[in-house]
Amino acid sequence: MPVNEPPSIDDIDLAIVRQLQDNGRATNKQIAQNLGLTAATVSARIRRMEADDKLRVIAVSDFSAHGYNILMEVAIEVHGRAASEVAEDLAKMPEAFAVHLVTGRYDIDMMLVLKDFDGLKDMMLSRIMEVEGVRSITPTIAVDIIKYQFDVAPIEAGDGS
Amino acid sequence: MSAAQVDDLDLKLIDILSRDARLSNRQIASQLGVTEGTVRGRIKRLQEDGLIAFTAITSFGLADRSKLALIGIQSDATDARAIADRVAQMPDINAVLVTMGRFNILAVCLFNELSEVHHIASEQILAMKEVHHVETTIAVHTIKYNARIVRITNDAAATDKGD
Repeated sequence: MPVNEPPSIDDIDLAIVRQLQDNGRATNKQIAQNLGLTAATVSARIRRMEADDKLRVIAVSDFSAHGYNILMEVAIEVHGRAASEVAEDLAKMPEAFAVHLVTGRYDIDMMLVLKDFDGLKDMMLSRIMEVEGVRSITPTIAVDIIKYQFDVAPIEAGDGS
Repeated sequence: MSAAQVDDLDLKLIDILSRDARLSNRQIASQLGVTEGTVRGRIKRLQEDGLIAFTAITSFGLADRSKLALIGIQSDATDARAIADRVAQMPDINAVLVTMGRFNILAVCLFNELSEVHHIASEQILAMKEVHHVETTIAVHTIKYNARIVRITNDAAATDKGD
């Protein structure tokens, strides 16, 4: 299946990615010096991986930088409508940062952020419950975030532009 | 949680950097109509305050661990923090939240084979004496995932190098 086969990532690519994971703002020259390469090689390889949608070098920002102080998980039961359609509608909310179709007792699992508890009632009772097909919602509130590590993520084409 | 001191210029800077962190200070400065020194100073402060971090997100790591499971854990509330700390040490666990609701702890696990989730949930977590119940939910399809807004934790840099 050559069509689906991704262009391969070699050891030099991986070494560059590790450098970028440590410091995404390191210059091509710094990375080149650390790895014994030329800056031009580093630059070309980063550009190729980005063009192939294999790599994004980005700033991640903390929830609090955006005024989001509350993190919640909401388990949702769907009735009378395809779960994928309900999930697409839920994903349109800017506060929803993850929406998954899941197996088990619930149909959709959603992670969302809120600025404060004043926004909770409107979010739960109006905006989520009013999405067609949502039968029930079961929220769980995060009181403490012990670990939060995601450096592997689906990269959508054109995502960085 | 204390309110972060972030103004409009900071948010514009974050927005630009969250799309491409490889832009030079000069390129960013000209986009925002400020000096290079302002950009450099703001980036430094946001980093020092733990409000932004620079990293590389890869999709090729997904070949190894492309599936996501949510592991809900019930325990006595007084044990939750200690259990969460132990679960956070497990290498395949990407996020651990202490929660109020159906569970005391919610952990996110990236995996490839179902047997890996079973091993973590049923062999390792359930084996802890303080854990009463473990419930695993498998995500079969991801509709949305925003990797750009996260909780920046102190151990982030250390665990980056994990795999």
